[in-house]
Amino acid sequence: MGKVLNIQPVTRIEGHARIAVHLDDAGNVENAYMSLMSLRGFEKFIEGRPAEEVPRIVNRICGICPWMHHTAGNKAVDGCFGVTPTETGQKLRELLQVMAHINDKILHFFFLAAPDFVLGPDADYSVRNVIGVVKAAPELATQVVKMRQLGQMMIDRFAGKAIHPVAAVVGGFSKPLPEAERQAMLRDTRTLLDFSLYALDFAKNNVFSKYLGAINQLGVITTGFLGTVDPADGSLRLFDGRQRLMKADGSYVDFDGADYLDYLGEHVEPWGYGKMPYARSWNEGFSLDLDAPKGIYRANTLARINVCDKISTPHAQAALEEFRAAFGRPAQATLLYHYARLIELIYACERTMELLNWDGITDTDVRAKVEPKAGRGVGIVEAPRGTLIHDYHTDADGCIASANLIVGTTHNIGPMNMSVKQAATSLIKDGHYDQGILNKVEMAVRAYDP
Amino acid sequence: MSGEKIRLNTEWLCDCGGCHVALVDLHEKILNVLDSVTIQHCPVLTDIKDYPEADIGILTGSIRTEHDRHAAGEMRKKCKTIIAFGTCAVYGGLHGAGLAHSREEIVDRVYRHNPTTRTDTVPDSEVTELAKLVTPVDEVIDVDLYLPGCPPHAHFIFESLATLIEQRAPRVTQDTVCARCNRQMVKSEVNAIKKSLDGVPDDNICFLSQGYICLGSVTLDRCLAPCPNHGVACTGCAGPTMQILTEPNRDIRTEVSDRMSRLTAIDGETIKTHMERTAKTQYAYAMATKMIGNKPTFLIKKWIADVEAGAHG
Ligand code: SF4
Ligand code: SF4
Ligand code: SF4
Repeated sequence: MGKVLNIQPVTRIEGHARIAVHLDDAGNVENAYMSLMSLRGFEKFIEGRPAEEVPRIVNRICGICPWMHHTAGNKAVDGCFGVTPTETGQKLRELLQVMAHINDKILHFFFLAAPDFVLGPDADYSVRNVIGVVKAAPELATQVVKMRQLGQMMIDRFAGKAIHPVAAVVGGFSKPLPEAERQAMLRDTRTLLDFSLYALDFAKNNVFSKYLGAINQLGVITTGFLGTVDPADGSLRLFDGRQRLMKADGSYVDFDGADYLDYLGEHVEPWGYGKMPYARSWNEGFSLDLDAPKGIYRANTLARINVCDKISTPHAQAALEEFRAAFGRPAQATLLYHYARLIELIYACERTMELLNWDGITDTDVRAKVEPKAGRGVGIVEAPRGTLIHDYHTDADGCIASANLIVGTTHNIGPMNMSVKQAATSLIKDGHYDQGILNKVEMAVRAYDP
Repeated sequence: MSGEKIRLNTEWLCDCGGCHVALVDLHEKILNVLDSVTIQHCPVLTDIKDYPEADIGILTGSIRTEHDRHAAGEMRKKCKTIIAFGTCAVYGGLHGAGLAHSREEIVDRVYRHNPTTRTDTVPDSEVTELAKLVTPVDEVIDVDLYLPGCPPHAHFIFESLATLIEQRAPRVTQDTVCARCNRQMVKSEVNAIKKSLDGVPDDNICFLSQGYICLGSVTLDRCLAPCPNHGVACTGCAGPTMQILTEPNRDIRTEVSDRMSRLTAIDGETIKTHMERTAKTQYAYAMATKMIGNKPTFLIKKWIADVEAGAHG
């Protein structure tokens, strides 16, 4: 029996994970896993609670993307109670959700992933972090910290709480957007848009061109993709739209979120707490086999950039065209998640501007009248880490009778396992490995931003 | 120079990650902090996977698995001062709902009786087992300082770090959320409890006066009251005040029903019963601490059973 290399915890990711690489006697990779380390069980906790309280409870599923759970939860409860939010209420929810995307992408790319690229994947582990970046590129770092602050403060000022928000409510939003606040947000978002254009340029020149070799190799697997598009023109959507499930050959079906049970299933393996969603509608079962995966699709930035026909905002559309010309559609290379993330950063800034420029955004009719009742609602948004699904049933008192949750990250657990195995197998040979190699295995996970 | 710096380890146990994001979101102040602090083990930011000796150890999250227990123990061994950071670490947090649901019920719901899950497997290899109950950090190690909040507001985070760096006494108060809330408590003639989705509340008047349950008066201010100041009642995510925790006959529902019945025309018993019926929400964040769980007045299992019996009867 060979040995097991444990990478625990996987660091500079936003969750709790571990990698185990099993080597045979000759020191070659027999198997490799990436598993989630814990289970909380929100599906159970929210049972019996008044449904209207749930959107502020489910935030605590994830402190990195609470706005996603907050908005998906609200949509699901709207569905249960059969209420249509006012147009302004719905747009305010989208505004905050899209703004949260901006901040998340800055956090992920610059705070978590950038050390691998700015300092290099083989840099000593003790300096390979954002503090190392602060030392190596102080101007960039100061700028990044400022941008993250600008984004979070914009949310804080208007909505009170950026982490674990409370401001969206069933039927819409808890308060209207004052004109002065809108002006301030417009000003700040312009700054963020400039920064996002700069960030993509920076990454094109300093990261993607330099690491093209790694991009074409590290963690590369072939899968399908899941994302959300505008029902009318197939353009990228983060807040609402229809779900699009694409096969590796580029063919796809679009479906209505409420029908997700017909398209997706979840598979559990004994070695991790995370469930692994797969495309049940492909009728091929589930397999993580690197050469012939079955039912495996990916979500998150690269998936959304692959499934959309276009992007409705000009700068992001230009970036998408350049990306497609270079990498095709669907692009499969795992490290391209970072590239796709920066394209979405631009979209999120442009979309925020669009929403702020919409005349009705400061309207005071933010909240529709709501009556609790029995029903079912499926609330879906695109979270930074993938398509987030909240599916609730309520009883006659308007309390949660049952709930099913598919959290963004989980779509990629199967694929992350494949990428880890691919990376480990190609990098670790005849018992040779070092700290830099193990970090590269982690980089295959980091790209997915779990 | 770095010899002078304060060495900091942070670790996340079972949690949502929000407390660590709150630390990063000290924004430009994080750059100040970095002048006097060396960040060592910090899974979200650095690749230091073991636990170096440190002056300060920040623990977020609660104890869910053997792995969490082990990590908390290692942190205690290596850090001179341990801060239980955030409501999860201090009181168990939202997923401390173990008093309301057993581990078996949760596992069954997630892996077995679930509309999307097509397998009948419960993870049991390569993972560490789930503990029977979720517990706050101080049930497995000694804790030196407590900073609740879900997450704590940057104002309090910075104050507590500054306290430790400058080695002075903390300037934090024991005020409740009400102290930071801009609403006025007024006597009203409201005679029925409202759900949060009934009508649109007046922005200047205390929620209690308007007939909405608000936990501000029983909750320690570690957040600067963002919720009542932005149109939404407080649900107590920073955990109860010391008074609630330590006095045997005072409880979240007795205090709130007292105050609310004085501010409205609603009878105290009615409010109390309502809060028992919705106990999972009213006690959401601090159920797992023995200070609440062991109170003679806290009968959540009975309250839940009563509601279920009512639903079937
Ligand atoms: S206290 Fe709140 S923010 Fe902090 S880890 Fe727990 S759930 Fe997340
Ligand atoms: S009870 Fe709530 S609304 Fe009333 S003063 Fe306290 S925090 Fe404000
Ligand atoms: S729910 Fe209460 S304790 Fe929590 S942030 Fe809001 S006001 Fe503060």
